[in-house]
Amino acid sequence: MTSSLHLPRGFSRRSLLGLGVAGAGALGLAACGGGPEVGGGGAGGGEELDLDFSGVEPATKIDFWTNHPGGSQEVEAQLLAAFTEETGIEVNHVTAGSNYEEIAQRFQTAQAANSGLPAVVVLSDVWWFRYFLNGNIIPIDTLVEQLEIDLSDYRDSLVQDYQYEDQQWALPYGRSTPLFYYNKDHFSAAGLPDRAPETWTEFEEWAPKLTESETAYMYPDLAGYAGWTLQNVLWGQGAGWSDEWTITCAEPAAVEALQWVQDSVFSKGWAQVASSDSADTFAAGVCSSTIASTGSLVGVLESATFDVGVGFLPGGSVEGPVCPTGGAGLGIPSAVTPEEQLAGAMLMEFMGRPESTVAFSAATGYMPIRKSADLTELTAETPQIQLAVDQLDVTKPQDFARVFLPGADQEMAEAIASIATAEGDVQAAMDGLKETLEGIYTKEIQPKLEG
Amino acid sequence: MTDSPSRVPGTDAPQTPVPDAPGRPQAPTNRPPLRRRRMNRRARRDALVFLAFAAPNLVLIAMFTYRPLILNIQYSMLDWTLGSRTATFIGLGNYVEFFTSDEGLTSLRITAIFTLFTVGGAMVLGLLIALALNINIPGRTIARSAVFAPYVLSGVGVGLVWLFIFDPNFGALGWILRQLGMGSPQWFLDPQMSLVMVIIVYVWKNLGYCAIVYLGGLQSLPQDVMHAAQLDGAGAVRRFFSISIPLLSPTTFFLLITTTLNSLQAFDLLRIMTPTGRGTNTMIFESYLQAFGGYSRAGYSATISVLLFVILIVMTVAQIMFVERKVHYA
Repeated sequence: MTSSLHLPRGFSRRSLLGLGVAGAGALGLAACGGGPEVGGGGAGGGEELDLDFSGVEPATKIDFWTNHPGGSQEVEAQLLAAFTEETGIEVNHVTAGSNYEEIAQRFQTAQAANSGLPAVVVLSDVWWFRYFLNGNIIPIDTLVEQLEIDLSDYRDSLVQDYQYEDQQWALPYGRSTPLFYYNKDHFSAAGLPDRAPETWTEFEEWAPKLTESETAYMYPDLAGYAGWTLQNVLWGQGAGWSDEWTITCAEPAAVEALQWVQDSVFSKGWAQVASSDSADTFAAGVCSSTIASTGSLVGVLESATFDVGVGFLPGGSVEGPVCPTGGAGLGIPSAVTPEEQLAGAMLMEFMGRPESTVAFSAATGYMPIRKSADLTELTAETPQIQLAVDQLDVTKPQDFARVFLPGADQEMAEAIASIATAEGDVQAAMDGLKETLEGIYTKEIQPKLEG
Repeated sequence: MTDSPSRVPGTDAPQTPVPDAPGRPQAPTNRPPLRRRRMNRRARRDALVFLAFAAPNLVLIAMFTYRPLILNIQYSMLDWTLGSRTATFIGLGNYVEFFTSDEGLTSLRITAIFTLFTVGGAMVLGLLIALALNINIPGRTIARSAVFAPYVLSGVGVGLVWLFIFDPNFGALGWILRQLGMGSPQWFLDPQMSLVMVIIVYVWKNLGYCAIVYLGGLQSLPQDVMHAAQLDGAGAVRRFFSISIPLLSPTTFFLLITTTLNSLQAFDLLRIMTPTGRGTNTMIFESYLQAFGGYSRAGYSATISVLLFVILIVMTVAQIMFVERKVHYA
């Protein structure tokens, strides 16, 4: 006795055949897709990089991906034209995003597609390490040697920001620090000295006198700046987001520092949190003082209708540096040809020349990155830039948690929002943040560092 | 074997075969009848014509719709950092994480609230506006255009304009509230107010679509039924609830499906008005934030996209199966 295969009701042999064809088609479509190599997990792409450029001729045409930091599109175009004139290398000046995050989106998507990558890309302080972990950029030591780039003439703290495992992974470009901006008219009306406060305790005494605007002090908007600028308050109290890879944001000193932030907004009421760019809010006269990037300096000076004063970031009760560095550098993707990489390095060398960095600083307010840069003309035109340069001597590298953990900036902003825009419990918020950051480290970073 | 009778063009009625004449030797019957061969040729030719017309589109759809969909399902099972050339297969790990994490459940809740209020708001307000536009008053054509205009505007442009309006320091809304002795809510800092803000703007942008579709439905209602009800003494409110609303149910059903699908996929306004997604991270926005908002979690992002796809399919099928039964077609 034989048994025959009975199909369920509603299924004919034809529909079964159709399903089979559809399934085969699906597999075929999936097979012709790109995407990652499944089964890996270690750092980088696993391929050995050839970093010997001695016999390589530079490409004659390259792409440069930038977000024109600090409104630098015009000065960048001028510098690129000068580069082409000198080297004969044509540069496609690509607006790859309006901020560091958008440029990172495009860069990572191009990595996934493995096509359309530039020879040089602008990478921010929170992105370059991720590119390093993923094997997206190359170390540039051999190129630095071949092109005789004098790293010792770069400002030490800025060039050291891109060093890891004894290798140089990028060069500084639009580098900044936070600055304390104040409205001189408001300070004068309040009978305060024409300078930034030396400590936050001093400012707390001044704040009640600053009644000319809605608020004495505006914390920068949380989205992009909470993690960066609040390092100032944390470091001033001897705390931080982390001590290298150990998350310290929930320790008593950190909680005390952030409790002070919450009190300044709620119980004392002399501060608010900006709902958009704090530099714009300050320039519009809404607040008497704020903290914003040096990259906003030229824009603020141009748009403010009052006298703008700037100063070092106020300190805390603990001695030591309280100012983080920030901004962006330039890196070279690993998945482009050696010819493009060499031409890209030549462009990086050109953009980092003393005269180039002075031109860039004059147009934006970002800091000149070379020690030998002649600042005479620059500081005559914008004297406040000298103060930003002077502040570099008292800067400190950022906490690992903020710059090296993927998504940490967003998590910090979220936690700060819960205590600075609502009266959430500070200890609970920091405990939660600590747990999240430790989870990110364990899941995203530790395996790659060990691999 | 005789020739088959000639076939009337355009008819596919089964033909009766003519039996072979008695006494004649049987010819080998392996070959199909000529008619069938002709049909096969015709069928082949039709198939070729079909393929010639459809193949380019089918290839494009396969490459740009089904291929990404299939790849997305594959990626949803990976622990993959965007930008990394390697990934680890983790099976349903991302799905488990979504349904067991606070963030995943919060995103589901926000998606439900956003969809409920935007669909409900746009349909109810759209119907009210349609009723107003259905009255024969001067300037009705201009009013219709004005109501519909926001729907065709770019979401990015609309979002930017409304950002200015909602700005607590410089915005028109804040100014009006201050004139009334009130302070402006913290639209950008308070997550709950951020959600209220994007719902308001989304409803404003889309109610014109509902209004115009409802207006078309209202104008196609049978007037004889209305007049009969009026003669029977039914008032305007009674006629609206007992006649207009039931007869508008096909329109309502159509709008329910289209606006629900649109709301679940709303992105541009949310991205422009609340770039960090605090309080407004609907599933589609959360999918974007996980991949591109700093986390670079491409695998987890793909998981959320697949879940959203399943939700869209389930909701559409459920609406067709259960809601359409209550629809009264004229």
